[in-house]
Amino acid sequence: MDTSDSEGDSRKSNNKPKYSKFSQQELPACKPRLTPGTVVVAFSLIGVIFILIGLASLSASQEIVELVDRYDADCVPTGDKVGFIQNSETDKICTRTLTVPKHMKSPIHIYYQISGFYQNYRRYVKSRSDKQLRYKNDVHVTKDCHYEANTDDGAPIVPCGLIAWSMFNDTFAISVNKNTIEVNKKDIAWKSDKNNKFGSDIYPSNFQKGSLIGGAKLNESIPLSEQEDLIVWMRTAALPTFRKLYGRIETDIMANDQVTVVIQNNYNTYSFGGSKALVLSTTTWIGGKNNFIGVAYLTLGSLCLFLAMGFIVLYMVKRRTLGDPTYLSWNRDTLDHRY
Amino acid sequence: MASERPLLDASPDAPSPLPPASSLLPPPQREPPLRAERLAFSVDIPDPFIPSSHRDHQPDPSASQREPQEGDESRAVFVGESSGAFVGNSIRTAKYSVLTFLPRNLFEQFRRLSYVYFLAITVLNQLPQVAVFGRGASVLPLAFVLFVTAVKDAYEDFRRHRSDRQENNRLAAVLAPGTAREFSPKKWKHIRVGDVVRVASSETLPADMVLLATSDSTGVAHVQTLNLDGETNLKTRYAKQETQLRFSQDGSIGGVLHCERPNRNIYGFQANLEIDGKRVSLGPSNIVLRGCELKNTTWAIGVVVYTGKETKVMLNSSGAPSKRSRLETQLNRETVILSIMLIGMCTTASVLAGIWLLNHRGDLEFTQFFREKDYTTGKNYNYYGMGMQIFITFLMAVIVYQVIIPISLYISMELVRLGQAYFMGADKDLYDESSRSKFQCRALNINEDLGQVKYVFSDKTGTLTENKMEFQCASIRGVDYSSGKDTDGYSVVVDDLIWTPKMEVRTDPQLLKLLRGGGTDEERMLFLEFFLALAACNTIVPLVLDTRDPKQKLIDYQGESPDEQALVYAAASYGIVLVERTSGYVVIDVLGERRRFDILGLHEFDSDRKRMSVIVGCPDKTVKLYVKGADSSLFGITKKSLELDIVRATEAHLHTYSSLGLRTLVVGMRELSRPEFEEWQLAYENASTAVLGRGNLLRSVAANIESSVHILGATGIEDKLQDGVPEAIESLRQADIKVWILTGDKQETAISIGYSCKLLTNDMTQIVINNNSKESCRKSLEEALATTKKLRITSSIGMLSPELASESAGITLALIIDGNSLVYILETELQEELFKVARECSVVLCCRVAPLQKAGIVALIKNRTDDMTLAIGDGANDVSMIQMADVGVGISGQEGRQAVMASDFSMGQFRFLLPLLLVHGHWNYQRMSYMILYNFYKNATFVLVLFWYVLYTAFTLTTAITEWSSLLYTVLYTSLPTIVVGILDKDLSKATLLAYPKLYGSGQRDEKYNVNLFILNMLEALWQSLVVFYMPYFAYRQSTIDMSSLGDLWALAPVIVVNMQLATDIFRWNWIIHAFVWGTIAATTICLFVIDSIWILPGYGAIFHIMGTGLFWLLLLIIAVAAMVPHFVIKAFAEYFTPSDIQIAREMEKVDDVNQGKRSEIL
Repeated sequence: MDTSDSEGDSRKSNNKPKYSKFSQQELPACKPRLTPGTVVVAFSLIGVIFILIGLASLSASQEIVELVDRYDADCVPTGDKVGFIQNSETDKICTRTLTVPKHMKSPIHIYYQISGFYQNYRRYVKSRSDKQLRYKNDVHVTKDCHYEANTDDGAPIVPCGLIAWSMFNDTFAISVNKNTIEVNKKDIAWKSDKNNKFGSDIYPSNFQKGSLIGGAKLNESIPLSEQEDLIVWMRTAALPTFRKLYGRIETDIMANDQVTVVIQNNYNTYSFGGSKALVLSTTTWIGGKNNFIGVAYLTLGSLCLFLAMGFIVLYMVKRRTLGDPTYLSWNRDTLDHRY
Repeated sequence: MASERPLLDASPDAPSPLPPASSLLPPPQREPPLRAERLAFSVDIPDPFIPSSHRDHQPDPSASQREPQEGDESRAVFVGESSGAFVGNSIRTAKYSVLTFLPRNLFEQFRRLSYVYFLAITVLNQLPQVAVFGRGASVLPLAFVLFVTAVKDAYEDFRRHRSDRQENNRLAAVLAPGTAREFSPKKWKHIRVGDVVRVASSETLPADMVLLATSDSTGVAHVQTLNLDGETNLKTRYAKQETQLRFSQDGSIGGVLHCERPNRNIYGFQANLEIDGKRVSLGPSNIVLRGCELKNTTWAIGVVVYTGKETKVMLNSSGAPSKRSRLETQLNRETVILSIMLIGMCTTASVLAGIWLLNHRGDLEFTQFFREKDYTTGKNYNYYGMGMQIFITFLMAVIVYQVIIPISLYISMELVRLGQAYFMGADKDLYDESSRSKFQCRALNINEDLGQVKYVFSDKTGTLTENKMEFQCASIRGVDYSSGKDTDGYSVVVDDLIWTPKMEVRTDPQLLKLLRGGGTDEERMLFLEFFLALAACNTIVPLVLDTRDPKQKLIDYQGESPDEQALVYAAASYGIVLVERTSGYVVIDVLGERRRFDILGLHEFDSDRKRMSVIVGCPDKTVKLYVKGADSSLFGITKKSLELDIVRATEAHLHTYSSLGLRTLVVGMRELSRPEFEEWQLAYENASTAVLGRGNLLRSVAANIESSVHILGATGIEDKLQDGVPEAIESLRQADIKVWILTGDKQETAISIGYSCKLLTNDMTQIVINNNSKESCRKSLEEALATTKKLRITSSIGMLSPELASESAGITLALIIDGNSLVYILETELQEELFKVARECSVVLCCRVAPLQKAGIVALIKNRTDDMTLAIGDGANDVSMIQMADVGVGISGQEGRQAVMASDFSMGQFRFLLPLLLVHGHWNYQRMSYMILYNFYKNATFVLVLFWYVLYTAFTLTTAITEWSSLLYTVLYTSLPTIVVGILDKDLSKATLLAYPKLYGSGQRDEKYNVNLFILNMLEALWQSLVVFYMPYFAYRQSTIDMSSLGDLWALAPVIVVNMQLATDIFRWNWIIHAFVWGTIAATTICLFVIDSIWILPGYGAIFHIMGTGLFWLLLLIIAVAAMVPHFVIKAFAEYFTPSDIQIAREMEKVDDVNQGKRSEIL
């Protein structure tokens, strides 16, 4: 029966393929080619543009004034660090003094930087309930919040999960030249998170009531959408060394000013060998201080310029007429043969 | 008629419930070959593959006398009584029903190993300990692929259902039981074996039926077998006089019919009918088959013998042969390499994870992000100990990195092939105006093999030639008459009407004069006998057609053999016009005088005898035997001693004719004495009523009577070369494709055709192997080898390969070998020698080869080299060769559709091979190779990005990229452009590819897909993944960047990079490609927007946030450029300093374009 269908087709009088540019694969098309001209121009152009971008980013990065103070080692007594930090009775206040090298324009961002903390550890990352954070009716949806889901009597922990449980709880009080400066902790989290991701009618409950305290406690009278430190913390960091925004200073700090920071050193990074640091930094369009992108652009730009020159030299040394049929392999063979 | 299989069947692996295509061949024991008459003048040697014991096997004659129903081999049909014992007449070509669709379709899809792999991974992901992705997300890619395939299969099956339903519900007139001549309509599906059916003109036959009576008083019916074998000419079928008479007398019908069990031989049928106490034998000429149309006959009545799936047409329908393309086979090698990479990556990740856990063993209890212990119960949370933890990590790694084996590749390949098949079918250069046949892709999975062909095995008749025979020369009694000039035409007057043969043949004036009374009576008699033999010794049926002038009628000679048609037309032009043919007699108008000749017996052609004959009762009461056949066959049965001169002269003429490329045949005659005739008649009747072994019996009867024959003369028929064949062959040879011709014709004919199609040239050295014993074959082969060696040594200075050596020295070798020698060579130890000789030769001609020998020759090359073979042919005798070759091409020409049905591609003309191979083959190969490599590369890039990240997550296989993005990456983010490019992009224009056939070499040399390219692609993937990962890594080190934002960058950047890579490799940008490449990047961005707009995902708002920063855009830019620099440099360097032929041809195209542009500006 195979024949019938095909036969029926092939005997129809109008089965001649209809001519169209599409069916004959002759659509108008542009045929870009790498002629020596385009290669050299492309590399030179990219080289110049990249060097310019590189210089701009580098200068933007250089403009940024950044103070980094690692305090985890200095703020605990030598000896049983873990015991010290786990003991709720000990006095954990630690005072640090920094000198500002350059004028810092407001706003000055205050970050805490933790290293060795795998916020991207698989079992950690998964241990949260986004439904619970947003919908009042879903407070009991804690099935993904392994290890910190419900209290012993089965009541749901809000916010549940390892991420919320492990929230950072060091605090910083800052004064410049002995004058206390207010740290603005408003709007440190993403607006989208505050408005849509964390419910304004959900309040913390049963939080940090277990036998092991992971980190900060939450004020149970403030809805989750206003708990900006929590929101910041729950934007899990991509890499094991990360910074998180603590607050802002809305006044400039002059060069050589003394900044005094009083730290409540509560957070346990000692048990896993992590480090903690305080960072004061201004920002520009490029974000935080990082020369890498500028250097990368400069390197790649120079490489492209070098390649452009290399290709010019190569093209001069070994010329070839484009589209010369004598270069076709079978023509070349006979040429070789002749000589 | 329902279609068994749609034209584009993209699921070639699907099992066919029907027998494999190879079974199209008749079972080997069943000699003669299918198309006995057709082969009358070509194949005439015994089949060497069949031991002679088989061939000579004669069933015990007494066995055939037994009651047939005793054996298993027959069925009894009671005429007029519906029998429920056999299958119904409803047919079912659809594979699935609504209920069975899901399980069966899934089962068929999972027959592919790769799908099982993906299924295993999906199942693995459902284990809670191992689950990497959410349940829904992990099922998505496999479900998508399965769904797309299922929808395609369902649509195809729906079409089959629809046509089945139409077919089954057609109506036929069936005799109401117990009545006479009362026919009532009945649906086809309700027809049963034993029903008597009446069919009117132009109606289709509902089942295989034995004719009982027809509107013609002699019981003749004409059928068109277009649907069965594609032939448009009419075939004559007969009702037996016994039933015809009985029906015309009183309309009654009865009897018991014993016939063979259903089989798929459409040219064979054996049965007998017991009616009124007599036993009447029935043969192939008494059966009409389902699917045929009744023509030129007002009505016909038959009894149904085979129904439904037991009909011959259904038994013959089979799926296209399932072949795998070379690329797909090679692809497996790369898949293995990728699997090793996968295992390597998984092992690395899991071992590192183990080391990390070991180092932090003491810390885990209080580490906030691990929290090993539950302090209320004191138990460990989900910590299974080191070994188990490593093992689980390994399994998770397999799930995360699974995409390195590209799931979308398999479906992409199918879609690309579908698109390529569309473009091949739509190409106007592959459309044959004369036969109105389109190019058809019957096998969808070997498109790209067309770009790598190294050997073309071609049939001659109907493939290189048109198979439209034209009578050219006659040699009568040793005198040559070949100066045909006039085309006066000749007409006869019948009942005051002028009947003119449809075709005019040029006549020789001298012969015409002699015939019309110019010579002696004796001479004239002999000439008349010659033409009478031509007019009578055949199976041609004259059909009288009306013309516009009511006084004029046209005689159209319909028959199954174009050679016979040519001969009858020739006889008519000389005035011996065949006017009427019934089963019992023929009417011939002999120079104006109408004579009736009784056909007393007909011995059909078979390949042992290589001739056919008729026994004719002449008006003058003499009985004559007319015989025609191959020269070797006829000279063997002549009385040589008496006619030595004539035989010699005729032989000389035959030699001349065949060296002109004509098909020759010899005509003979014998007058039978009364006792001779009576003895023959007895034997003939006995033989022809036998049910079993009838063929062999008839053959021996024929062999007995065909002896002591007088040679009347010989004929030369021209089989014209098709248009463009010499040019096509020339181009194929330039493209380094070796063209072998395998023909059933004589050696001289084959050589002359070889010359006329420019395969052979005068500067070639011919090696002829033409022997009759194994020893002499061995000797010839050894000599031939010595010759080639000598040539190689003389020309081997500085040469590397033997092919180059013989060609560059200007001496090419041509091997000519005949079927007799092949009998002793193929499948013996001499094969190896033949292979060595054949490889050295640039041209090989095999003449007088049998169908299976053709396959044997193809196998000779296919099994010993990696070279791709293509076989092209048009007849049933080419089927085995077509199926043996890597690529089988069928010519849908004169010789039916057997070849087409077995082929992978079918087309109308030999010369279409050029655009098919050089253009479409080249494109298909180039596109498919690129697509496969690109798919490996793009998935590797992505997987490596995932891998690098794992190094910074304490080896816990977290992906920053959302699970949805990582699963959508292969199926959505990057798959469409490669499919579109795989269908539409073309490296060179059709004109260039045709102008420089040598460009085809890139496929033959595997230039576009090889391990080196694969490694290069993997290195590029490595570099690009490093750039994609580490640029953001260093830029965002010690920053506030969160996982979701960085994940979005890491998802978008590879999509941009791999699309840039594709963009730099695209040759021609038309609007569709633009739309898909840039559209994909846009679509990816939109997908990221959508994913990050879902509140309950952790990544909510991330993409919007990160896109608001300048650093994001700076990073995208530098990633795109840095990733592409190596690729760009390699490309620029290679294209300028080590240009491939294709590159130079592209530049030449550009130069041409510029010139044309300038010209048009001037104009």
